[in-house]
Amino acid sequence: MAFAGGGLNSPSARENAPGGRFFFCALLSLLLMYFDQRDGWGQHLRYALQAVAYPIQVAVGSPGRLAGAAAEMFRTRASLRTENDALQKQVRDLTLRTQTFQALQQENAHLRGLAAMPPPLVSKSLLVDVVDADLGPYRQRLVINHGDRAGLYRSQAVVDAGGLAGQLVRVGPWSAEVMLITDPEAAVPVQVLRSGERTIAVGTGKTRELELPDLPVTTDVKVGDLIVTSGLGGVFPAGIPVGEVIDNKRDPDTLTAHVRIRLSAQLDRSRQLLALWFNAANPAAPMSHAMLDTLPAPSIADPVTQPPAPAKPAAAAAATKPAPPARKILPGVGPHGGVLAPAPKEPPQ
Amino acid sequence: MILGGTRDSRLLVYITALIALVLSLLPVPQLLSILWPNLLVLVVLYWSTMAPLAGGMLLGFLAGLTLDVLGGGQLGQHAFALSLLTYLALKLHLLTRSKPLFEQSMFVFIALLLYEATLWAIDGFGGHGTGNWMRWLHVPVDALLWPVVVGVLGRLHSPR
Repeated sequence: MAFAGGGLNSPSARENAPGGRFFFCALLSLLLMYFDQRDGWGQHLRYALQAVAYPIQVAVGSPGRLAGAAAEMFRTRASLRTENDALQKQVRDLTLRTQTFQALQQENAHLRGLAAMPPPLVSKSLLVDVVDADLGPYRQRLVINHGDRAGLYRSQAVVDAGGLAGQLVRVGPWSAEVMLITDPEAAVPVQVLRSGERTIAVGTGKTRELELPDLPVTTDVKVGDLIVTSGLGGVFPAGIPVGEVIDNKRDPDTLTAHVRIRLSAQLDRSRQLLALWFNAANPAAPMSHAMLDTLPAPSIADPVTQPPAPAKPAAAAAATKPAPPARKILPGVGPHGGVLAPAPKEPPQ
Repeated sequence: MILGGTRDSRLLVYITALIALVLSLLPVPQLLSILWPNLLVLVVLYWSTMAPLAGGMLLGFLAGLTLDVLGGGQLGQHAFALSLLTYLALKLHLLTRSKPLFEQSMFVFIALLLYEATLWAIDGFGGHGTGNWMRWLHVPVDALLWPVVVGVLGRLHSPR
């Protein structure tokens, strides 16, 4: 045997019987699993390990980024110029749209009887780079180059230029892991923009698609409908674009609808994302993360049944009358242009 | 080079493990990623079989822990599965390493089935998604890749 050297002879190998060490390793792994399931110091351990893992993640993600950088370097003047033109056109369009949007917002506030316009939904945002991507069929995660030190927090919403991207599930000191909305474990409370129908979109492990399971055949959804976040669930604010319905099959046997959504965000291509902080004073903002941490599970309670102000009229009256100023605005009624959900269909008890 | 428990050989073992780790985590297209082999597990199996003193249990455990931290899922999941695999490889190394490559590939196939089954069970217990049949697809790929791993790593330390 080529391998049979002095140190490899069986007697010495037998001296180092692995049984005891295996027992120790297995016990340690089991302990790790146990503590990882609980939110105690398992989280602190994760935090430390995340810091250790960050250099490796950067190293692993670097070939892709190098290729991107090289392609960037060799772009021609002409292609840059066309891109510049396209961007300038986009800026003009967006400026125009913002102007009308502000007028609409003012009018909206007036219609609701609010004394003042709500503050902007997004109070702060941070541009983060994607350093590593794991876009397999079982996991859809990205690693970004900022973490705790930049103020990022667990369950923070992350978007890209097109729409909703995901939320932070693990935050280390200098890096964080984004669970994309396409992750098989991810679910986003959404709303059909046209009909106001609320449901939940789940990830399928495909980077460009989501599914709307559990919809009855009678659902008012059409191909081409825009899907936005509904603001329920306490993680994402209302009115962020999620995608567009591309497939809508009705199964007459099981009385269910199979609806597929193509994402607005380009998760397999975007190299930069935006992490968002929300203004708690804006009615469309999700709950603050401090509140979320104290809750056992994300609460999907109807705000109408939980009066924010003591001097609130009866819930039934609130559903019919124009909203009094103190009333908390219904979820889904976002300040984003046109995202105005109808009031809940059945009056709450 | 003779591989004992010396510092040089340990260095070689950990360097090859690191390279394998980077290779197995490379971002690849989605279709390919289903079949993408788990090179780190193969390298750990190789050193546990061919040079049980150089890597040993520590290598298996550390490799598993790294996979846990980088890959996600439950912390300790891969550490447990890979420790189990390393233990079996160390226990059986006298039996397996004298066999022809084809037979070794069979052993590797069974070992990786066990590895994936352990992960699958822990996923289930932990309440995570257990995936579908596609998660098993890398097992035959790994088994087919075993002769290549033996060829490459064997060149690194055998006085041929």
